[in-house]
Amino acid sequence: MLGDSRKAQEIFHATLREAAVRAARGDLPDEQFWLFRDARWRCLEATRTDLQPEPVEMDERDVAPGAESQIQRLDPLQLAIWISAAPDPQRSALALFYLDEFDYREILDIADLKLSELSHFLAKGRRQLQAWLDSKFPQASKV
Amino acid sequence: MRRQRSLLNCAPISARQLADRPMRSALSRTDGSAEFADQQNFDRALARLVRLIAIPAESAEWFSEKDLVPASKRTWKNTLRNPAVLAISIAVAVIAGVFVFNFVSHLNDFPGSATARKLLGIAASTRSVMLDPVNAEAGTLSDLFFMKHGLEHYDVPEEFADFDTIGCRVFEDDESRRIAQIWVSEKRMQFFLFPAERDSKTGTVLRFPGWRYVRQEGWTGAVTEHSGVCFMAAVRGSEKDLAPYLTQPKE
Repeated sequence: MLGDSRKAQEIFHATLREAAVRAARGDLPDEQFWLFRDARWRCLEATRTDLQPEPVEMDERDVAPGAESQIQRLDPLQLAIWISAAPDPQRSALALFYLDEFDYREILDIADLKLSELSHFLAKGRRQLQAWLDSKFPQASKV
Repeated sequence: MRRQRSLLNCAPISARQLADRPMRSALSRTDGSAEFADQQNFDRALARLVRLIAIPAESAEWFSEKDLVPASKRTWKNTLRNPAVLAISIAVAVIAGVFVFNFVSHLNDFPGSATARKLLGIAASTRSVMLDPVNAEAGTLSDLFFMKHGLEHYDVPEEFADFDTIGCRVFEDDESRRIAQIWVSEKRMQFFLFPAERDSKTGTVLRFPGWRYVRQEGWTGAVTEHSGVCFMAAVRGSEKDLAPYLTQPKE
């Protein structure tokens, strides 16, 4: 979500601290995903004052059969930065989806999205990622 | 179609998140399309890469081996809202209702109760002109039934024997049983005498002790059996209208 492990850790601890305080007060919300929703809003709040990526129209390409080998050549941190640079709520959709911990209904709940919106953001994200992979590793993009 | 496409775009990366029925249905319709296979391979490769993103040790220890999200428990409320469970529950409730209704309505059944109910229907539709005028006490009519119609033991019980008769008749019901009907002036009550039910194998009379009540279309009958013949006193009303005659034996 942030592309910055130091900030992520700060938010993680702030979220847990808040949860502990609310638990001590017996004030925990009766919602399954409130902690994740809270963490997401903290992330969005933290990035609001950051330097914002320039809004540019990104290239899009269909997902290629050989994309797997391109992804294997990618550095994990590069992927984290790429996702964190996406505009929200696409950023939240991609981060939550590729975390592979939530099913689509849970993502809809946490990110306050409709199914059509989540579908659109994921499809668009895949196509943009593919275009980015093709630009980074052009030899594997075309057969 | 659009919803299916939307669902496929959100298809789970790992099989452990396949609990959703619409999603399972959408996945079953992909028929192994190459486009969807590419998408799945793409997603899996990305998810593997995401797992490699280093988490600071301080934060990582919070996760250890435990699940990030505890599996949601299926509550009773959710289970009851399931359409299949709801439909089965309603069906079971209806069946149980019918069963209870039948059970309760037959709880007070006795040998001859079905005939008695039919006769209450006849009582409701009978007009006094349909009967032969008779001016005598009801208790004396057993001689008439025996002498004129050959009916033995068609005796009016002593509780009702003193009542003045307006008319009477003997007729056959749809099973060719001979029924005696008496109309008395007291509360415009009607009496019926009819053969008691018999065991279909042995032919012995199925007896029952005392008085039993039957109800049909606003009429109530008090039935007793004696010497193989049932007597029923029928009145438009409830058991309360008949009870005083049964609890206060005539002297």
